[in-house]
Amino acid sequence: MEIRIRGVSKHYVSEGKTIKALDEVNLTIPARKIFTLLGPSGCGKTTLLRCIVGLEMPDTGEISIGDELVWSREKGISVPPEKRGLGMVFQTYAIWPHMTVFDNVGYPLQVRGAPREEVRARVARALEFVQLAGFEGRPATRLSGGQQQRVALARALVAEPRVILFDEPLSNLDAKLREETRKELRAFLEKLQITAVYVTHDRVEALALSDSIAVMRAGRIVETGTPAKIYFDADDRFVADFIGRANLVNGRVRGEEGGLTVVDCPLGAIACQRREFPAGGEATLCIRPEFIHVARGEAPAGRNVVNGRIESLTFVGEHFETEIRVGENTLLARVDADAKFGVGDAVSFTLDPAHCLLVAA
Amino acid sequence: MNQPRSAKLTWLLIAIVGALTVCPVVMLALGSFSEGLTAFGVFTVDKYVGAYTDPAFRDVMLNTVVFVVCSSVLSTVLATFLAYLNTRTDIPFKFLFGILSIIPMMIPHLLFSVSWALLLNPSNGLLNLGLKEAFGLEEAPLNIYSMWGMILVEGLLDLPIAYLIIAPAMASFDVALEESSRVSGASAWKTLFRITLPVLRPAILAAFILGVVRSLASFAVPSVIGMPGRVPVLATHLYEMIATGFATDYGKAAAVGMSVLAASVTLIVVYRALTAESERFVTIAGRGFKSTVIELGAARMPLFAIVGVLSFVLIVLPVAVLLYTSFVPYSMVPSARAFSMMTLKHWRDVLGDPISILALKNSLFLALVGATLGVVLSVFVAYVIVKVKTRAAGILDSLSYLSFSFPGIVIGVGFMWFFVQTPLYSTIWALLLGYIATYLPYGIRPMSSAFIQIHSHLEESSLVCGASPFVTLKRVIVPLLIPGIVSGWILLASMFVRELTLSVVLSRPGTEVLAVQILRFSEDGLWGKLSALGIVMIAITTALVVLASWVGGRFKTAWGR
Repeated sequence: MEIRIRGVSKHYVSEGKTIKALDEVNLTIPARKIFTLLGPSGCGKTTLLRCIVGLEMPDTGEISIGDELVWSREKGISVPPEKRGLGMVFQTYAIWPHMTVFDNVGYPLQVRGAPREEVRARVARALEFVQLAGFEGRPATRLSGGQQQRVALARALVAEPRVILFDEPLSNLDAKLREETRKELRAFLEKLQITAVYVTHDRVEALALSDSIAVMRAGRIVETGTPAKIYFDADDRFVADFIGRANLVNGRVRGEEGGLTVVDCPLGAIACQRREFPAGGEATLCIRPEFIHVARGEAPAGRNVVNGRIESLTFVGEHFETEIRVGENTLLARVDADAKFGVGDAVSFTLDPAHCLLVAA
Repeated sequence: MNQPRSAKLTWLLIAIVGALTVCPVVMLALGSFSEGLTAFGVFTVDKYVGAYTDPAFRDVMLNTVVFVVCSSVLSTVLATFLAYLNTRTDIPFKFLFGILSIIPMMIPHLLFSVSWALLLNPSNGLLNLGLKEAFGLEEAPLNIYSMWGMILVEGLLDLPIAYLIIAPAMASFDVALEESSRVSGASAWKTLFRITLPVLRPAILAAFILGVVRSLASFAVPSVIGMPGRVPVLATHLYEMIATGFATDYGKAAAVGMSVLAASVTLIVVYRALTAESERFVTIAGRGFKSTVIELGAARMPLFAIVGVLSFVLIVLPVAVLLYTSFVPYSMVPSARAFSMMTLKHWRDVLGDPISILALKNSLFLALVGATLGVVLSVFVAYVIVKVKTRAAGILDSLSYLSFSFPGIVIGVGFMWFFVQTPLYSTIWALLLGYIATYLPYGIRPMSSAFIQIHSHLEESSLVCGASPFVTLKRVIVPLLIPGIVSGWILLASMFVRELTLSVVLSRPGTEVLAVQILRFSEDGLWGKLSALGIVMIAITTALVVLASWVGGRFKTAWGR
């Protein structure tokens, strides 16, 4: 079920100040895909999700789910959340503490007046799907965090909603469980072939889980694309910086050479992935630490060859994180855990143009 | 939540609560400018002139200030001391502190005052009789019917509420603040006075101000202890204007009441600001820090002795004295002879007295019906205040808090002006409405904390699941609210059973209630009957409190954690 959002704005008044939570958001969320709204806290992603589900009302704009217009201030349409036929997993899971697992999961069917037998069968199926078969009689208060999360998912799925929405559902789990649950969730959703909207501030979660990501900032959608596009080929400096660790170096575009865009920057003349930037204009060069492959000693000058000196080394377990000084700049890079480098060593590296990304300054 | 629907509910509640709380205030104001109850609306300022130029008024004011300030200082100092001992030291038997803090639920102020009069009155107070016998004295050495007596009893009565404000603030105090002071070279004492108490200042001040408001509104102590000792304060001054003498003057009472009300409302505004501040001051999110316990060492037992004496004085003594007095034919020191003469005469008298039985029935009716209605109203009001959070909800919040500052006797005068214009006058319904209006904040508070505990996601996820707001209310919200509803109901019911200050104004022949009947016995010196009826009252309130903790506990275990 496709979700279309047109010109949606929402503002809050807090302590006399007006805060724009959503600022003219236009977005189409494709059907049967996992779509993630990613952004730092306070960027409006949760507000947007709550507007879709109907728990909050935008000031302007229109929202439609499938063919149905569910919100339009201009046309005076406001479908309440209980009539939108959606499923949602809340950040706190919102498992009702006074009910059993069965009642929690069966609730969406019960309130729609489904016959008892059908409720029982469908709850059993939903619980089996989330691998909690046989948990029906368990009181909700006697569930672990991971189990609560799965009960919440079963409840969101049981009525076969048109769309399922997730509001940071993994943020309350510990790191290890979060990774496992993320994989499970991905598998569940792939099996279901359902439209899913997922809100998170965790870029790894977004990259691992999504078919498509929209990065938000200050109430606006900055960029939308596949995880690979967002990670390797972002158009926006904020997105490039937010989605992963990045070295950002300011430079000036020299022009095109052999299908690559060359930029003059403190690292020298660097050939980058081709981008439509006017020659002479300013641009920012973005290099991810994992693509800087450091070699010992100075290297003769060449295309995209950079010489520097190790300024610091931090052992983080899997590898060393190192800062390499190149002139005025320091670049973050990775060194293998067994490499024998010392602070002050002269090093060099060659940048692959495919991993040199130019974004607007 | 559907916005227009909740807005409608908000305005409906503002209308109801507004009518309940603003109406008596407006009527009090209008009444103070009127000729008399039968000549309402005939404008005059005579009542103000008369009330405030009365030569006795200066003494009344002076007495009131001394009484109110000294008793509040007493309760605050004692409460700070006890709270510190409980939360920060290794004093033994800490459970006693919990008991000390729920006593006001068990023993009505009126009976507490009476028990002190029974012990220390100059003519036949038990302690005085004992001291006279022991030392062969001609005259009673102690006289509770005096200013110091009033201060002592009121101070002890307000102690638990002050403790309930100060103790949580002390318990949530971040010890790192103190530890860094110690590391910086300050001694334990210096740290207490330079760091601990200043940081807790908002809470301590709040406790003091609440003490002032409560002693200003207090009627039990001034009437039982102050009136025989001819120490009039504003509450009894008002009472004399409307209930004794030949010419009752509700206009003059309203004129005096206006300034009491104004003072009270102002203080409550200050109190709210302070508590808001103290929450900001001492909010350390539950990081699981463990407060270091100060070892009292040699002072441990002497300090505990003080706590023990306080518990005895606050809990055991009043009940024991009343029980004893209800069985002996006349006041005498406990002795073998006294116990051999014990009789059920007073009990038979009271239980055969039609007015006492009527009072018992009326009080039970008011408690059961009043608490039920009060709780229903509180549920809706608390819902709007906690969950709706619009500007109108803010108005409702302030409105519902207003009656927290109502001195019962003053607001009773306001209600009197109102009810006289209606057929409700001198019916039980007048008392019912008055009770609900005056005690609404006590019903709303447990309900709002219950609502606060219900995370909005629990409600929202029900809506997303397809349940209508009504089904959500029925299946999710109300079941989670039940503990709050139960404790709110019991709180209101036990307050209504012993209500005195409002009833003393609004109760008429036929609508007597327990507390008023007990006051009559006290005025006539019928201590035996009084004690028997008082024990009945304590039994009812105790049963309600025990029921509350039992039901609350059951729901807690049923839902785990």
